[in-house]
This record gives sequence, C-alpha cells and structure tokens, in this order.
Amino acid sequence: MAVTTVAKLVDTSLCIGCKACEVACQEWNDQEFTLGVFNNTYQTQPDLSPSFWNLIKFNEHVDDGVNSWLMAKYQCMHCADAGCIKACPAPGAIVQLPNGIVDFKQDNCIGCGYCITGCPFDVPRLSPTSKKVYKCSLCSDRVGAGMTPACIRTCPTNCLTFGSRTDLVQLASIRTAELKEDGFMDAGVYDGPGVGGTNVLYVLKHASEPEKYGLPKDPRIPWTVSLWKGPLKWVANAAFLGTALGAMLHYLKFGPQERHDDDTD
Amino acid sequence: MTTQIERFSFAERVSHWTSALCFLYAAFTGLALWSPRLFWLSGVFGGGETVRAWHPWAGLIFSVALGVMFKRWAGQMQLDQDDQVWLAKSHLYAQHIEAGIPESGRFNAGQKMMFWLQSASAFFLLLSGLVIWFPEVAPRSARLIAILLHPVCASVSMGGIIVHFYMSTLAVPGALSAMVHGTVSRGWARSHHGKWFREVDGR
Repeated sequence: MAVTTVAKLVDTSLCIGCKACEVACQEWNDQEFTLGVFNNTYQTQPDLSPSFWNLIKFNEHVDDGVNSWLMAKYQCMHCADAGCIKACPAPGAIVQLPNGIVDFKQDNCIGCGYCITGCPFDVPRLSPTSKKVYKCSLCSDRVGAGMTPACIRTCPTNCLTFGSRTDLVQLASIRTAELKEDGFMDAGVYDGPGVGGTNVLYVLKHASEPEKYGLPKDPRIPWTVSLWKGPLKWVANAAFLGTALGAMLHYLKFGPQERHDDDTD
Repeated sequence: MTTQIERFSFAERVSHWTSALCFLYAAFTGLALWSPRLFWLSGVFGGGETVRAWHPWAGLIFSVALGVMFKRWAGQMQLDQDDQVWLAKSHLYAQHIEAGIPESGRFNAGQKMMFWLQSASAFFLLLSGLVIWFPEVAPRSARLIAILLHPVCASVSMGGIIVHFYMSTLAVPGALSAMVHGTVSRGWARSHHGKWFREVDGR
C-alpha cells in the first residue's frame, strides 16, 4: 500500500495567538529558549532561529480603520518540489520521506547553507555553534510512531489539523466555503502550487494577498537555483571534457613545440 | 653548454605555486560542493564539513597569491599591436607554423589572455565566494546571484587552467621548468619570446 502523504492544515482564521504550539515545539524537540528581541509586537521573537522552528507571526492589519492580527504559523512548508533538496550538495543531509515530510539529517549536513538560498520560504537556519542547519521536521519522529506533531497535538482551537493531505485539502475547501458564508469573500487556500504543492496548507481570509501573512505570493524555487543545479551542470561538464579532449587531440595531432635549447646566434 | 637566463623571479614562482596549490584544492573541493554526484571527492579531502570550512580559506589565499601576480604582471600583460596579429594567427601558432607570427615580449598574447581570464574570474569568484561563505549574513538577493556566478566563473577558470596545464607541461617543453627553476636557455627565450630575449640579453 502506498504511503499516505501527510499534511498540516493551518486555519489562520481560528488562531488566537496563544503560542501553545511554539511551546510544544520547543519542548518536544528539546530546544532551549533564549529571550530574543522585543520589537513592540506580541510575537515571541522576530524570526525563526536554529533552535526555534515554529513562530506565530502577529501580522498587524488595518481594514476600514479596524485593527486586527493576521496570524500566520511560520515554519517549514514541506514542499513536494523542495528547493532545499535541490540546492543541497551533501547526499542524505536533506531527505524527503515517503509520507512527504522534508527532514534535515544534521549528521550528514556540512553547513554550507545552500538550502537557505534554495528555500522559497526562507525557513532553514544555520547554527553558528554546530554549523548545521535546522528547521521544523513536522515531528517526523512522532509521525513515524503514529502520533500527531507536537504543535497540532497541543492546539486548543482546532486551528491546526493533521492528517492525510487529500483529506485536509477537502477540509480546507469546506472551511473556505464557511468563511465566504461569513462574508470573507476573499477566503481561500494557500498550498504553493509553484513548488508542486506544500504539505502545510493554509486557510486565509485574504487569500489574494498572502503577503499580508508574510507568505510569498507565488513561491517557486528561485530560477538561479534551478539553473545552477540544472543546465549549468551540463554546460560546465561539457566544457571541461571538451577542453581536455581538445588538448589530447591537439597533442596527438601536432605534438609539442620544438625545443630550442641550442644557442646558435 | 647554454647560458641560462632568469625568466621568473623567486617571488613570482612562490606566488604562482601558492596560487596553483590553492587552486587545485579549491577546484577539487569545489567540485565536491558542486554536485551530490561529486560529493565523494570531499572524502578525499577530509569530509564534507572540513571541505566546507577550508574551501573558502583556500580561495582567500589563492586570491592573495593571484593578487601578488596581478600587481607584478598587469603592466606587462597589456596587449599591443603585435599581440593582435598574434591572436589573429593563433590557429597557426597551435599548428607550430611560426612564419608570419610576430615575436612575443615577456608573455605572448595567449598567455596575456589567460592572465586576464584568470584575473577576471578570480575577482568574481572572490566576490561571490564571500557571499556564499556567510549565508546567514549575506542578503538573499546577493546569495541568489552568487550561487550562479561562483560556479560559472569557476567553470571558466577551470577550463582555462586545463589549457594552461596542457600548454605548460606537454605542449611547450621548457615552460614548466621555467616556472619551477626560474630560468630558461637563451635559445628557448629567443625562439619563444624574441622581443623579451633582446631586452634582457642586452646585446
């Protein structure tokens, strides 16, 4: 039986910003929490870090003079066509499990940081101490043991749901329809078709403006990364082999230049 | 017996071979970081983490050594009228047909082109390399350019070095010895670099 692709659904309209998922993530993954920067928001810290893989972003939004927060759970999106894997030179450092989880294996990581450049969502973080890159694993250890990822297990509002991707796509469209009934006509699903679909799905009230949530409008693997890891390889390989072959043929046809060690003038 | 004349000073040879060794290290470790298929090369040089840590330093030392050569040679590497003719007839040079090819100064036009090719690619390799070295500091837009620019310049430079390596070892006997021992025979100097020979020979 084929392995089911798992996914996480984030219904941003239900997030109350309690940050329980952040705590659960830190606890399960045994991460130390160090106080970051206070930048006049309710966010725990401004950004992800090597030891902080799941951040609730409190995006401040003003609509007709009414202030609101557009909550967005910021973590690895577990792309089907993952830019980090495309960019990574070290075999086995980033693996895509049969269930769709993109997992970093720090034992094989060499700390080059190419994955950071390859990621369209700017998620991986390089640790200055261990020189390894870290990010959300979708609790692959828990999922492998039949459990739910820590963040989802702890969410009190059903904002987060875990399950098969197919089921969650359906649930997302149901939630979208409900939001539209409630008057949020711009509601929709964010699932990154440009990267072959993400295994983290969002229901957004303002689906046509994902930037408001801090999400890229049309996430794709950067074209320089695709070119670098695609056609450029073949051009360069052909150039190397062509040059070496040319040198060999030249030597066989014309041989070396004549020596002129005699001094007859 | 022939009298030897100095072709490359001690400082020139030290900077050349420093850059050569760093280049070889950076080229092979660079290939390891270039593709998962070539990652096995990192094992030859102490493993992926070691390679990731040392490749930038090798590049930095290479840049310094090349900088020394650039400072010494840039003036002598300007192409003159004769060099233009030489380049136009380089296909004859390659076939060892020397009639009608102008005599060269200390460096022939081919060597001058190699010098500018290596200098330019090294400059961009250094810039892009610094960006790739510190991904957590460099801005994303710079990184996106650098990850493309670095291998493009490396390919150009490595392709050039294959030619350089072939010319200096197999194709032109005496060239390698000149860079190792620093001297060439008078006959070698006259036939390969006639203008330069008359300058240094002084008679």
